[in-house]
Amino acid sequence: MATAKDLRTLADREVVALAKAGKEAAYRELLYRYERPVFSLIYRMVRDRALAEDLSQETFVKVLNALDSYRPEFKFSSWIFKIANNAAIDQLRKREVNTLSLDGAPGARTAEEVEATALQAADRGESPLAELEARELGTEIEQAIGKLRPEYRTAILLRHVEGRAYEEIAEVMDLPLGTVKTYIHRARLELRDYLAHLRT
Amino acid sequence: MTDKQLDAGDLDLAVLRELSALRSFAPSRGFSGRVMNRVRLPQPAAVALFRRAGAWVMQPRRAVTLATAYAASVVIALRLAVPWLEAHASALQLGVAWIGAQLGAAFNTAAMGLADWAVRSGAAALVRSAASSGAALPALAAAAIGYAAAGVCFYTLLKSPRRNDALARS
Repeated sequence: MATAKDLRTLADREVVALAKAGKEAAYRELLYRYERPVFSLIYRMVRDRALAEDLSQETFVKVLNALDSYRPEFKFSSWIFKIANNAAIDQLRKREVNTLSLDGAPGARTAEEVEATALQAADRGESPLAELEARELGTEIEQAIGKLRPEYRTAILLRHVEGRAYEEIAEVMDLPLGTVKTYIHRARLELRDYLAHLRT
Repeated sequence: MTDKQLDAGDLDLAVLRELSALRSFAPSRGFSGRVMNRVRLPQPAAVALFRRAGAWVMQPRRAVTLATAYAASVVIALRLAVPWLEAHASALQLGVAWIGAQLGAAFNTAAMGLADWAVRSGAAALVRSAASSGAALPALAAAAIGYAAAGVCFYTLLKSPRRNDALARS
């Protein structure tokens, strides 16, 4: 009988097999592994914490209740990111969430709403000056990511924030590999344009 | 950037570096608990069958039909059973009395056997001497306290969150 510690060492596929066999700890392990990446992706897409939580919750419920339909020849991470991305894209299309502002979504009226919809920049324990610079650049990048088209945003986040392979991103986005590479290239160019004011 | 400006190449590198270093966001506390509350864990086949049968029966129209059928079958059974019972009352009384006597005799035999064993094995003498001597009392009290403490420990162990639960709550 695998303990929580044993589960940590298993591959996604093996954890899914245990979950299919009815082991609750395996479900929790999948949640533990993916709650941050899935939530981060959705949050950066929709820029609304409460909405991102709802969409993440829906994603996990959908995935965990449909484990029987999961086909092991595909990566589990591709499957869950695909559902998460679809949920975020659907939401963006439905509500046309404006993602330009780091200072909160445009729909935010009260101080609480502004705070809830504002993204915070990184804090990685660097020296105070380096940390300030990194935070400022991080903030600029968060803003610039928010200006990208949703497809570019998904591609660049999966590639450079989540560190996923091009092939996996193609699976997640249901696009040909060449298109994904083009999206990432264009996203980088757009990011460079948005951040041009930082150049000498 | 504040007073530090970047050239184009530096900017590209810095952007890629910062992208890979962007923080990951965590959902609020209790997120995994809320998800798990909505997840249907696979059940053993027998339980699933029982639940499905229960759900099938609890459909309003089916429930009314089944309740009516049940009431009708009880009425019909009583209609048939009561005259039969009246016709065979004396034989049934005899049978019930015989079964009662057999059960009583079996219970009597078992009780006598237990008492005989208690006397022969010395268990009765041990209990009698323990009750009369003061030395056995602390030992019995210690055993009772130990038993109660083990019960409390077991309860606490069951109540404590497991590793994953603890992680989920953190």
